[in-house]
Amino acid sequence: MNLLILASNSFTDVKPGLIIWTWITFIIVLIILRRFAWGPLLSAVEGREKNITNAIESAKRERAEAEKLLGEQKTAIAAARQEAADAVRKTQADMEKFREELMSKARKEADSLKLDAQRAINDERVKAIAELKGEAAKLSIAIAEKLLNERLDDAKHQALAQQFVQDLGKKQTPQA
Amino acid sequence: MKRFVLILVALFAVPAFANEPEGHAEPSGPVDKKKETADFILHHVADDTVFEMEIPFPPYHLPAIHIADAFSFLKFERTPGACDGHAPAGFESFPSLGLFLNGCWDLRPTKAILMMWVACAVLFSLLFLGRKRDQNGVPRGVLAHLIEVLALFVRDEIAVPNLGKEEGKRYTPYLTSLFFFILAIDWLGLIPGMFAATGVVTVTAALAIITFILIQVAGIRSAGLGGYLKHLTGGVPAFLWPIMIPVEVIGLFTKPFALLVRLFANMLGGHMVVFFLLSLIFVWTIGAAAVALPLTVAIFCLEIFVGILQAYLFTLLTSLFIGQGVAMGHHAHGDDHAH
Repeated sequence: MNLLILASNSFTDVKPGLIIWTWITFIIVLIILRRFAWGPLLSAVEGREKNITNAIESAKRERAEAEKLLGEQKTAIAAARQEAADAVRKTQADMEKFREELMSKARKEADSLKLDAQRAINDERVKAIAELKGEAAKLSIAIAEKLLNERLDDAKHQALAQQFVQDLGKKQTPQA
Repeated sequence: MKRFVLILVALFAVPAFANEPEGHAEPSGPVDKKKETADFILHHVADDTVFEMEIPFPPYHLPAIHIADAFSFLKFERTPGACDGHAPAGFESFPSLGLFLNGCWDLRPTKAILMMWVACAVLFSLLFLGRKRDQNGVPRGVLAHLIEVLALFVRDEIAVPNLGKEEGKRYTPYLTSLFFFILAIDWLGLIPGMFAATGVVTVTAALAIITFILIQVAGIRSAGLGGYLKHLTGGVPAFLWPIMIPVEVIGLFTKPFALLVRLFANMLGGHMVVFFLLSLIFVWTIGAAAVALPLTVAIFCLEIFVGILQAYLFTLLTSLFIGQGVAMGHHAHGDDHAH
């Protein structure tokens, strides 16, 4: 009984006309919303999401690149420092060598100068001795001439003069 | 579920009220408040060809919109007099359907359709107002943000988890439209004087039929017609097919049926509860308002939530079922499918 009355009321009444109208309405809503609402909205959101992803990606990439660059720079700095240290060391070594060279050269020059000087002194001395010998001989001859002139006949004096000259020659000879 | 029971009670209450006056009430006798209240409530929540701005209890009736008269040209009688008769045998529960099959093509819009159009107009204008974005595609204004949050909620929480990234993108516009359509109708129906079209079984049935078609199309598209038919056998040995195939075929229909009943019953039930509570004031004493009004406010707030909840559920289950259809093709053939 109840079921029959339930059946006759309007709640379960499926109206074909209403179904068709609902479909028409919903499909028009679907088309309009798809075209004018969700299309722009979803594409805007997707664009935004893409932008964000891209930004994150590029940030990561840039970070990696920066880190790489930083590493490169660090190695470059280390290399430069090494190079500088090497250069300093090399310069010092060069300087040392140069100084040594200079010193040895100077020493050699001084030595040769000294030798030259000694040689010149020796030469001069030999020359001086020779001259002195000549002078002494001239002097003794002059003395002898004077003695001879004054006391030629004095045989004693003559022997003395001779003796004197001989002694002079003896005294000078070992020094020559 | 409780609400559904309430509706049933309400439905069965009709004969109870209906039988009473025949016994003792004279036309000039005192007004049977119970019957009048029940009639009023049922009249309000049922679909009709006339839209009235109702002010409770006669004689304060505002002028009504006679939708059926305005669209009378949409009523076609294939066979003369087909619309005058009663529903044919076997169609007692669905008189209009019976008449339709008999040749009475009544395509006139009703109150539900009118409300649906109003809801769509509201929805369009809100979406139009909330369309502003800056050059980065970021929405401007509260409304635009709200719309985007809801649309992205449908996309990210409903479409993509159930359908996968690729298919989810394909069905997102449909699901978002469905969600907003139902939500607009639900919430419009809460405004006093308006009428919730989703509380009419025909409307939810129409939406469920679209979902049904989409489920089958998704299944056939992903598994092929052969795979789709094979799926109906449930993967059991051939001698069990006479049992399995009817079960699977019934299963196809129960999913959308559950959808249509859930939405319809929730909306109808909620509105009836509000009216019942308010009617207590008139049926009992004015003092009942002390209880009835706070309860009504509470139920009304609950209804606001139920409106969005049911829109969400309808959309979620639609996408879930379409997802099952889509998944048909991804299973190896002969797999056992959990239903």
